[in-house]
Amino acid sequence: MNTVLRHTARRIGTSLLVLFGVSVLIFAIARVIPGDPARVALGPNAKQEQVDQLRAAMFLDEPVVAQYGHFLSGLARGDLGVSLYTNRPVMTDIADFLPATLELVLVSGVMMIAIGLPLGILSARYRGRWPDHVIRVISLLGVSAPAFVWAVVLMLLFAFYLPLFPIAGRLHDSFDIPRVTGFLTIDTAIAGNWAAFGDAWRHLALPAFALALSGIGQAARLTRANMIETYEKPYIEMAQAYGWPEKRIANRYAFKPSLIPSLTIIGLDFAALLGNAFLVEAVFGWPGLSRYGVNVILRKDLNAIVGTVLIISAMFILVNIIVDILTVILNPRIRKADAR
Amino acid sequence: MTLVLNIRDLQLAFKSWSGTSEVLHGISLTIGKGERVALVGESGSGKSVTARIVLGLLQELRGVQISGSVEFQGQDLGAMPDRERRALRGTAMSMIFQDPTSSLNPVFKIAPQFQEVLARVTPGISMSATRVRATDLLREVAIAEPERVLDSYPFQLSGGMNQRVMIAMALANRPALLLADEPGTALDVTVQAQTLDLMRALVTDHGTSVLFISHNLGVVREFADRTYVIYRGNIVEEGPTRDVFENPGHPYTRALMAAQPKITGGGLPDLVEGDRHYLEPRFVHEGVA
Amino acid sequence: MKRMTTILLANPLSLLGVLLVGLVVLLAVFAPLIAPFPDHRGAVVDFANFNKPPGWPHLMGTDVVGRDLFSRILYAYRISLILGVVVLAIAVPIGVTLGLMAGYLGGWWEYGLMRLTDVFLSIPPLVLAISIMGVLEPTLMNGMLAVTVMWWPWYTRLVYNITRGEKVEGYVLAAEVIGASKTHIMFREILPNCVPAVVTKMTLDLGFVILIVSSLSFLGLGVQPPTPDLGSMVAEGAKYLPDSWWLSVFPGLAILIAVFGFNLIGDGLRDILGADR
Repeated sequence: MNTVLRHTARRIGTSLLVLFGVSVLIFAIARVIPGDPARVALGPNAKQEQVDQLRAAMFLDEPVVAQYGHFLSGLARGDLGVSLYTNRPVMTDIADFLPATLELVLVSGVMMIAIGLPLGILSARYRGRWPDHVIRVISLLGVSAPAFVWAVVLMLLFAFYLPLFPIAGRLHDSFDIPRVTGFLTIDTAIAGNWAAFGDAWRHLALPAFALALSGIGQAARLTRANMIETYEKPYIEMAQAYGWPEKRIANRYAFKPSLIPSLTIIGLDFAALLGNAFLVEAVFGWPGLSRYGVNVILRKDLNAIVGTVLIISAMFILVNIIVDILTVILNPRIRKADAR
Repeated sequence: MTLVLNIRDLQLAFKSWSGTSEVLHGISLTIGKGERVALVGESGSGKSVTARIVLGLLQELRGVQISGSVEFQGQDLGAMPDRERRALRGTAMSMIFQDPTSSLNPVFKIAPQFQEVLARVTPGISMSATRVRATDLLREVAIAEPERVLDSYPFQLSGGMNQRVMIAMALANRPALLLADEPGTALDVTVQAQTLDLMRALVTDHGTSVLFISHNLGVVREFADRTYVIYRGNIVEEGPTRDVFENPGHPYTRALMAAQPKITGGGLPDLVEGDRHYLEPRFVHEGVA
Repeated sequence: MKRMTTILLANPLSLLGVLLVGLVVLLAVFAPLIAPFPDHRGAVVDFANFNKPPGWPHLMGTDVVGRDLFSRILYAYRISLILGVVVLAIAVPIGVTLGLMAGYLGGWWEYGLMRLTDVFLSIPPLVLAISIMGVLEPTLMNGMLAVTVMWWPWYTRLVYNITRGEKVEGYVLAAEVIGASKTHIMFREILPNCVPAVVTKMTLDLGFVILIVSSLSFLGLGVQPPTPDLGSMVAEGAKYLPDSWWLSVFPGLAILIAVFGFNLIGDGLRDILGADR
């Protein structure tokens, strides 16, 4: 396990470097804004001195490099500045909205893996026969429409025509659950309110599935492609020649070697859910980071834009680190090679 | 003499959308109990597919046309339901492949792979029982530290070590027939010779019949009781190994012998392609091995 | 080339892809001739016919101000396709050139370019485009720019990986020995080997660019009304679910058909060219 730790440390090091690059990039993007953000924030009727005051408070009258310095030193203290849209610290806003988005993305990611990988395995095991054709077409359809289209379709089918699931929101208004983690599926359980617990899951089901669909398709396609490559390997022929059960070969002996190269890309897809959550949240009125993000962007709220994108990128990088570590754990060749 | 394997007039063709290509044009071959039989030919002559038909691996692919009969211990494999044919794999017959290291799964240790092999005869065998049995089997192939080998991944072992593991796995369930497809060709010549000696000793002990597929004449001469020479999907010569080598009757066989370059017999040099004499009828040496 | 086309068309799924894409392109190119109400692409109001369900003469119904949905979808296809082609026409040459440089020149070029690529790839694609659109005015041109900026790194990484493999091949060494220039080796010797993978990715990406652009305008950050766009049509229509279902379902279906078509062709190409990376 020592090698895994060493690898993790190295990986986190390079990731911090990348995150630094990301912060420069976002900061640069945010500073090319045409017009005066202070003026935009205060509206056309504000007096010039008010605008000047705000400019000074936001360090907008200093050179860009100095502005970035202020931003970094704030970041080190966990301070992303104040949102001009909500008049609250950006950190507080994010802490408020992030859990809803994370809950959605996590459940969706689990769906993506729990459904996508088995579909890919099945497809490879029956390659060229009808289960393969069906799965291939379904997964290609999954990746061929943006999440908001699936959100609309699912909502229409399973919330309106067949009213199995609620239409929007995270929880029915009649429940009052004290906020602990911000994850309603957890908070309701902590409160011991099982009716609310069930309700939270029912609210979560459709948006999470709509968000997961393209990831499911992607994961199934990738798994299939890598498994088929693995099936050409001599060790699979050997397993077949020795009469090992086909199902066991597929689920274990062909799956594990093909999972290792798939992992990185599955990680990227998992992380892409963070972006696509914006689309699904809009359709289902999900009170996550999305609405906040779109609002601050439309209002050119600098601090909030930078903060939101930075947090999302940090999560994205975190997912990739986790995937990287998993790859090392799963691949004995890397694990053992380092040990010597 | 009871026949372990009796192949008669076996024909094989692959059908694809661009047409049909015939690979075997009716080959016949027999192996008696405890007999070691070699099938010699250059690559693409149809030797490897023959072994895969015996195992029933090709029958399951699409676009494969097979005719003729393959009898294993008196049972017609072609008439057998798929399930019964599969039941023979890894139990009554098993196989050794060309490259031992790539024939073992790279992301699993040897122990779980051994467990799968043993589970063919003892379903649900526990890991501890596997280790006990596997340790014995690995000692049989002269592996000094079976415990360490069981806990290793294939890439941590040398090619020769993996080859021994393969042989131990192949003979674990005491099969009646062992198919050896160019065993150890990927290994160093000395290592190859060692493992072949080991294999010969073991199959002699257990009375296992062997179909030995090779392009390496030197190795065949050492190993086999009887030899079949295959050229372009036809058997061109057959007989006791000594007779075939000392007194080759078919022009193709003579060309093979003449072309054999070194003592180590690394491989076949290019023969004059499509010499019409090579298509002469098959030459049979009468006599006992 | 001819043989490739034959193989492609022999696969029923690829054939379906070619047919779907052909249909979409035809509809887009001849939109002015096909659309029953060509002027409905703009800010037209026809209150006599608002919110009509699919029927005659409005095949896919009308929107809340009475515009013919079918006509608007045809014009939206035009814009989507043009956007897709322009984005790739800019992003691919940039990405490929940088990938060749990073892969072949090595050293600081490799380090700098690949870290830069990492930075771009470390922001979820949609979020990057959203933040770029956020600071720019939401116009068609800027949408194109935002998507282009997020797209090139993928080609850099793809070409970089291939180049690193090709760089040690005999033909490259041979060219070096006879003193060919670096530019010659990169663009004349190595580039042709990247073409299959790049072409396959471009086919798949045409679909994905359409998908991303529609996502931006779905959020109100892309093409602005009254210009017809599939994404903003879905967004607009989603407000009137479930009664006026056609408002969001048909534009959604239109996206699905176009992207599905490109993906089918891309898959077929990948099978033939073996450009699986």
